[in-house]
Amino acid sequence: MSTLLQSYTPPSVSLRLRPRPSRCLRPLRFQVGRMGNSVVRAQAATEATEAATSEGLKKGIAEFYDESSGVWESVWGDHMHHGFYEPDTAASLSDHRPAQIRMIEEALSFAGVSDDPMKKPKTIVDVGCGIGGSSRYLAKKYGAQCRGITLSPVQAQRAQELAAAEGLADKVSFQVADALQQPFPDGEFDLVWSMESGEHMPDKMKFVSELARVAAPGATIIIVTWCHRDLSPSEDSLKPDEIALLNKICDAYYLPAWCSASDYVNIAKSLSLENIKTADWSDNVAPFWPAVIRSAFTWQGFTSLLRSGWKTIRGALVMPLMIEGYKKNLIKFAVITCTKPN
Amino acid sequence: MRLLTHNMLSCNIKGVTNGFPLKLEADKWVTKEVDLNADFLRGIFPKIEWSALLAAARALGFAELPEQADASMLSSDDFLRRFHHALLELHVEEGALVCPETGRKFPINKGIPNMLLHEDEV
Repeated sequence: MSTLLQSYTPPSVSLRLRPRPSRCLRPLRFQVGRMGNSVVRAQAATEATEAATSEGLKKGIAEFYDESSGVWESVWGDHMHHGFYEPDTAASLSDHRPAQIRMIEEALSFAGVSDDPMKKPKTIVDVGCGIGGSSRYLAKKYGAQCRGITLSPVQAQRAQELAAAEGLADKVSFQVADALQQPFPDGEFDLVWSMESGEHMPDKMKFVSELARVAAPGATIIIVTWCHRDLSPSEDSLKPDEIALLNKICDAYYLPAWCSASDYVNIAKSLSLENIKTADWSDNVAPFWPAVIRSAFTWQGFTSLLRSGWKTIRGALVMPLMIEGYKKNLIKFAVITCTKPN
Repeated sequence: MRLLTHNMLSCNIKGVTNGFPLKLEADKWVTKEVDLNADFLRGIFPKIEWSALLAAARALGFAELPEQADASMLSSDDFLRRFHHALLELHVEEGALVCPETGRKFPINKGIPNMLLHEDEV
């Protein structure tokens, strides 16, 4: 099995089943620039947001996770996000779950969310909740009510089952819903949480607007997401080979156009959000993709993949491209936090 | 879906100004007993839209909530029991949530509401 890994070469374009307009070309329009400029460009980039393909994207995301959630859970457990590791450490398989927990704790700490009984969050929304790993963790940690939303009915069902099994059914509930049209009234939540779901959102402005809308005055918003590198002031866009790499990843993971962490910061500023902070945690997630690839080559991983479906397998085949993206400093793992004004 | 969740859901169809509360149509619901936690109930009470809870409970055949409620009632064990039952022990398994303005139905399957909008509602 290990020789297979060593001789692995990334899939070529011919693996695409059919040509489709590349959503990933839109990074051209998400540019670091003067604040107003990048916001205007972000809005321009969403004109009709390829309305037809937006429905297709949502359906693709739902189907991808309907199909692959079970495989992920059986090998990795209920947290569908990167672990947080010390830079330049090798990690064994048993390190990964604690690392995934650490990722949650590091994000909360970075955002300054209080443990104090008077100040801790009482209502939480988990936007892009997967099978509810974060929801259950946060509900337990703070004794809070948590609502999770996902496009995948299979994930919502599984999330609810796991909550019931853990005795948390009275604290957490899950809904099938769209993060760009959250089914909640304004100002509902003390903590608005998006752990590795931002990369699926075709309209970053709308995504962050909704996070802000459902946040209560004074609430904390935490976004942990995949971004591309910030553009330098002299750059108009990513380089062609960078765009090509992101294109391949986008197709397999049902991702729309990427943006940079600076784009998120600018969007937050345009929405008058406060205490905006961001950090690059790429070095802290480096062991993750190699570990996921290794897990795919274990007997359990391999057989689960074979039993899953094409979408899952394609996702697995594209994993080395994520490593390539990180190594080229093209892909960044970013945390962005802010608060809603009082 | 518990009524606590129902109390936080609203219709987000474009142009709708009056999307809360959603009317509850339940085809199948069950009662699941949960330990009463008075502190929790007292803490959540200020966030509850009482008329929405009242209407939803009635839709499930539970008519024992008072028409109006205020915080002073939270010292009554009897009130807490009824509040607890309506909020946390009634589970809608199958049914729909109906937008009060447009009549659009959001299905509830196996206890999970599907609040996804159609293309023309966005």
